[in-house]
Amino acid sequence: MRALVVEDDAALREQIIEVMKGAGFAVDAAANGTDGHFMAEEYAADIAIIDLGLPEVPGLEIIRRAREAGRSYPILILTARDGWQSKVEGLEAGADDYLVKPFHKEELIARVRALLRRSGGWSQAKLVSGPLVLDTSAQTLTLGDQPVELTSYEFRVLNYLLLHAGKVISKSELNEHLYAEDSERDSNVIEVFIRRLRSKIDPDGTGNPITTLRGAGYRWDWPRPESED
Amino acid sequence: MLACAAALDHAFAERALQTQYDRMQGLAYALLAATEPTADGTLSLSMFRLPDSRLNNPGAGLASALIDERGGLTWGSISLTDDVPLPPMVAPGEWSFESTDTSFILAFGLRWANPVEGDQTYTLLIIEDRATFRRQVAGFRRTLWSWLAVAAIGLLSVQGAILAWGLGPLRRLRRDLRLVEKGKQTALGGRYPQELVPLSEAINGMISTGQAQLERHRHALGDLAHSLKTPLAVLRGMSEDERLNAELRQQIAEPVARMHTIVDHQLRRAVMAGRRTLTEPVALREVIEKLSRTIEKVYRSKAPRFELDIPPTLKVRIDGGDLFEMMGNLLENAVKYGKGRVRVHASRSRQGLCTIRVEDDGAGFPESPERLLSRGVRADTLTPGQGIGLGASAELVAAYRGQVQLTRSETLGGGAVIITLVA
Repeated sequence: MRALVVEDDAALREQIIEVMKGAGFAVDAAANGTDGHFMAEEYAADIAIIDLGLPEVPGLEIIRRAREAGRSYPILILTARDGWQSKVEGLEAGADDYLVKPFHKEELIARVRALLRRSGGWSQAKLVSGPLVLDTSAQTLTLGDQPVELTSYEFRVLNYLLLHAGKVISKSELNEHLYAEDSERDSNVIEVFIRRLRSKIDPDGTGNPITTLRGAGYRWDWPRPESED
Repeated sequence: MLACAAALDHAFAERALQTQYDRMQGLAYALLAATEPTADGTLSLSMFRLPDSRLNNPGAGLASALIDERGGLTWGSISLTDDVPLPPMVAPGEWSFESTDTSFILAFGLRWANPVEGDQTYTLLIIEDRATFRRQVAGFRRTLWSWLAVAAIGLLSVQGAILAWGLGPLRRLRRDLRLVEKGKQTALGGRYPQELVPLSEAINGMISTGQAQLERHRHALGDLAHSLKTPLAVLRGMSEDERLNAELRQQIAEPVARMHTIVDHQLRRAVMAGRRTLTEPVALREVIEKLSRTIEKVYRSKAPRFELDIPPTLKVRIDGGDLFEMMGNLLENAVKYGKGRVRVHASRSRQGLCTIRVEDDGAGFPESPERLLSRGVRADTLTPGQGIGLGASAELVAAYRGQVQLTRSETLGGGAVIITLVA
């Protein structure tokens, strides 16, 4: 999962980046409105955290333009003004939730996760598929009742596949959503992650949760439970 | 006008008196011309040479007499009556004019060279009834006062008409101001005469700068909030950094939490516009619709369902920011503490009172809900939860001299907040 953070205060930006990385996100960060606007339109973010009081381009403007450009990832706004009028403005501009400064880091993570689950059509913190349960807030995976150890990259890949279950995800798409813009990428690594995930989730090779479509990408095939609400 | 009339009246009376004197003097000279010596050398007047026929006519109001130096009547006109008091003698060549209640008496002293007895002095008297004079003056007065009355009425009505015409634009200004005050207009739109243009422009300027000033004030407070809360957020982040030792973190966390509450509370109070005259009215339904869209988005997991029963034309004279705050807190509480169904009803009574009712399907309010509305709670004693939002709303309502009532919803079974506003 890749997150975009736009915050002009250096100390707060570093804190948010750290918190997001700790929660298993690849993070791109911008310190002003101009960079923020560029990243919001150009990068393949899964979620954006945008401060409203930004130099150069205001946060509201970034949100409005990103939505006009067809970007549909969830946006969480950070605001110092806790007035309803600014909340309404932010959400009418296209944001999905707001967080008033100062906030607890747990709350930030909880809001981000909630937005991601919502955008993937999940309303619960736990993503369930067949015998598999991925707890996005505790970052744990259980298969049946057995806990399974995952590295943070494996977690990101699995999380992305589960949130986009049934859809074909190309290698480059996965790549884009796993790494921040400035990290080095190697698409062969994706194949390694998929192989490792397969061996961890489906050790005897009978369940086939992940289908490889030659030249197109991967698809998560296990169904979500019927009672999911 | 009265003083003018009094002066005129006085002048005329003076003039009439003078005329009377002159006329009687003329008569005296004419009578002197009619004098003739008698056989014994004394002076007398010939009846046939009298200059005024009234002298021969008793009751005509004019009489004359010639009195000798011993006070005896030498000659009297036919019209002379007995009851006329004879005034004292007048020295030769002197005039005496006397005006009594009933008549004017002119006396003239003359010296007569009697060829028989030597020099003699006589006094010629002319007595004229005052009635004629009185009639004249009365007639003049009647004419004077009646014309003056006509002129006064005419002048006053012309003046009234001019005033009414001249004050017309001011009346229009007042009517326009009232429309602005009622919120039917946002500025004085009428066309005014040149003299009033600066005034109407100044008022329009005041209305718009009032709004602009409020915006600037809010903006400045927003910036202040931003520059205070961002470092607070950093400090809070530090207090949650597991790499620091726990005691140190606790030491940071406590003052940060306190500062946060105080900053929040004070900023909220400072942003409040409160009741002002000439506030632009806001369509209530639009605000509620925006708020419910926002709340639906934020509380999506609760799937809130808003039922709005608000006439689209209903406007309240509350500053937009204040209205958002007032209603936002109530709607959020209704969703947060209920199961998601919220009903908002608003109406305006014939007396102009606006009632807004927010109902939810939650557990309702506790037994003594007044505590939740208590204002003036010190910032550092505030606890998060329903209290803050509801208290802030109540504070706003009070700032607009409205009332808040907490009760139970008849239809949804949860809590109901009823706000009554004068605006």
